[in-house]
Amino acid sequence: MHELGIASSLIEIVIETAEANDAEIVRTVTAKIGRLAGVDSNALYFAYDAVKEEYPLLKDSKLIIETVPITGQCEDCGKTDTYEEMFFACSSCGSFSVKLLTGEELTISNIEVD
Amino acid sequence: MAKVNIEKKILTKNEMKAAEVRERLKDVAVLNFVSSPGSGKTTLLENVLAGLKEKYKIAVVEGDQQTTHDADRIKAAGVEAFQVNTGNACHLEAVDVERALDTLGYDLDLLVIENVGNLVCPAEYDLGEDAKVMLISVTEGDDKPIKYPVMTRACEAMIVNKTDLLPYVDFDVEGCIRYAKGVNPDLEIMTVSCRAKEGLDTVTAYIEKKILEKKGK
Repeated sequence: MHELGIASSLIEIVIETAEANDAEIVRTVTAKIGRLAGVDSNALYFAYDAVKEEYPLLKDSKLIIETVPITGQCEDCGKTDTYEEMFFACSSCGSFSVKLLTGEELTISNIEVD
Repeated sequence: MAKVNIEKKILTKNEMKAAEVRERLKDVAVLNFVSSPGSGKTTLLENVLAGLKEKYKIAVVEGDQQTTHDADRIKAAGVEAFQVNTGNACHLEAVDVERALDTLGYDLDLLVIENVGNLVCPAEYDLGEDAKVMLISVTEGDDKPIKYPVMTRACEAMIVNKTDLLPYVDFDVEGCIRYAKGVNPDLEIMTVSCRAKEGLDTVTAYIEKKILEKKGK
């Protein structure tokens, strides 16, 4: 539901950066989204493509989403795990004291411009 | 073609508005209650705020698609309330809270936000709260915390409600807590029955702790 708001904010950053770099056209926009960020990639692609139409600088641009896996480290035994399910028990000692290292990102990494 | 590195968090307009609300409520405890529809948020608030209102200045923002039923109930319990009808939206946004505060005023000790009953979208919207508090009633199934993990992680506390119905349903309280802790190990857990008036003191103590924290006591 909030992907339209994210797309709008993302596009604001892209335009600001493109203008600061005297770009004539934006080719790609790369964003990193953690699996725990609560963002649906397909909804974000859809929203991005809808909003970009309003901006000539962006109309041929392509959004690239890099999905960041959920990783965590057990605070009891130190084991590092990658989690497919959103249930964070240490695979080695079973502890729930897992500190997440990645998976909550919602960042814009870079843009490619001409 | 040139590559421009940015590496910046994407902050939505809602998050910027939430930061403004948080700044204006620096000394006020703000709790955002979330749950499925019908978990008993309003009943819990009626029960708990009735006692707290004698000591603290409290207001409630009620979010529902339609009707003023919940705000009416809170007002009947003697607490100021503002009803936000979201129409077609499934969650409250920070701007709704700001609008409610225009009426309720900022001179408060505690602002309670009762979000629209929904365990998905409200997880994604910061309302300027200090903590989200999740309610689960025992008629809903004990695996809710793992079915809606984004919400479970977004919350600071989880209240298991309607424990008076445990003899009649297959709800495993320990199992529910295990699921919840597996998703969010820091989650504070409380169990209550508003009908049997059990466990309400724990919730009152939690809320009071949040109020005093904000006042720096």
